[in-house]
Amino acid sequence: MALEIRHISRTFTGSRSETLRDISLTIEDGEFICIVGPSGCGKSTLLNIIAGLDTASDGELFLNGNPITGPGSDRVVMFQEHALYPWLNVMDNVKFGMKLAGLPKEEQAARAEHYLKMVQLWDFRHYKIHEISGGMKQRTALARALCLDSPVLLMDEPFSALDKQTTNKLRSDLEHIWEETRKTILFVTHSVEEAVFLADRIVVLSDNPGCVRDVFPVDLPRPRQIDSEDFLKVRHQILSCVEREVQKFAKEEYDRG
Amino acid sequence: MQKKNTIAAKLNNLLFYIALILIWQGVYYWGTAIAGLWKPYALPNPLGVVESLKKLAVTGVLFQATAYSLRRALIGFLLSILIGTVLGLVIAASDYFNRNLKPLLTGIQSLPSVCWVPFAILWFGLDESAILFVVVIGSTFSVSLAIENAIRTVPPLYIKAARTMGASHLQLYRDVIFPAALPGFLAGLKQSWSFAWRALMSGEVMSAYVGLGYTLMAGRDIADINQVTAVMLIIILVGILIDRLVFSNLEHRILKQRGLV
Repeated sequence: MALEIRHISRTFTGSRSETLRDISLTIEDGEFICIVGPSGCGKSTLLNIIAGLDTASDGELFLNGNPITGPGSDRVVMFQEHALYPWLNVMDNVKFGMKLAGLPKEEQAARAEHYLKMVQLWDFRHYKIHEISGGMKQRTALARALCLDSPVLLMDEPFSALDKQTTNKLRSDLEHIWEETRKTILFVTHSVEEAVFLADRIVVLSDNPGCVRDVFPVDLPRPRQIDSEDFLKVRHQILSCVEREVQKFAKEEYDRG
Repeated sequence: MQKKNTIAAKLNNLLFYIALILIWQGVYYWGTAIAGLWKPYALPNPLGVVESLKKLAVTGVLFQATAYSLRRALIGFLLSILIGTVLGLVIAASDYFNRNLKPLLTGIQSLPSVCWVPFAILWFGLDESAILFVVVIGSTFSVSLAIENAIRTVPPLYIKAARTMGASHLQLYRDVIFPAALPGFLAGLKQSWSFAWRALMSGEVMSAYVGLGYTLMAGRDIADINQVTAVMLIIILVGILIDRLVFSNLEHRILKQRGLV
């Protein structure tokens, strides 16, 4: 039991509507969890609360039994945008978190080399951030996160701003890296296909207020073929669950208007 | 191709100013010698201005005045950067001071610096420190507002990312906020420099015994409108030169390093 989410709710002051209501989830060590749901359902809010960047109005969070009270390097976040620092080159960006933690220089260099090679960016280590492509930026951000050796990795639609080919490549790269490092990954996405490709379990959030609509275990063997019959069957099952939510929401909007 | 274009643009620029000077000289000649509209000493003319510049250069007044003015500007502006940065950090870091002190600084900054001259003379007399005071008070708050604005416009994502990597408050400022705010700060400093330079001229016109502002007033005292114009041109030139050589240059380098130009 790595990460425990107990009855989390989040209400924003100023609007009476709740973004999240009574979310409870237990995530095991080394599990790959994907969170999907209609846009605006609070997926990112949930991730931010786990990251400690936002606080829940109600409920508790525990990482390995310790309550989560703020951001920390035991739960590194990868954002939708790369969040790299343009005044540093690829190498120094990757070392950034380790420098904050005060790791010895040799250790920093060794880890940076290891993870830059893992994301296939070793040859680009001296490049400036504006000189590399969008996919390479996200790989740099991934290497930076991996270097901190945090037990939990939180990913907020990290590939959604990239083109299809790059996304596909990064997905399978991520799967390899996850198999190699066995981190607990919480991955928010709006793509059901992405979720079925990556996840051990898929959490579907419903909209307004966001609560756990359903949790689907995905038992397909890895690496998964996105055009195999089994894959499509699971994808369809989850898609229809998500779409019911979208339609429910659209109907409510319509009735209200 | 790119290079050719810039040369063509420069040439175009040069031709425009040559034409402007020729027209100026023509109007002067026509108005004073042919139409008799103005007395020759009432209007500056390009040849007269060049003559004045030559005279000021030969006697050494030009270089001495420029050196004095630059020295004052430099000392005053450095003081402004020091004080202004501290104040700027205060209004950037504290919501309380941002709500209460920032409007006051904005208000004082909107006061033309020449308005501080009487105050400065009352405090310091007709003295170097009076001029420095006017320079410092004329540009410090602009520096503060520049640093505050630069810090407030740092992308929140940079800060979020650092916090999730475990950055402490101090590390957040040193490793993220300062480097991220640097280009914006430099852009703001450019404006502060022009405030400092203008404030210096206000001070020198009123109370100096040497300097460009003083030479300007000396030209008025001997009713030499060509000298007045010559000094005005020098003041413009020095202001622009410092901006180009120091601030724009630095800003451009940093933006280029980050791939922003």
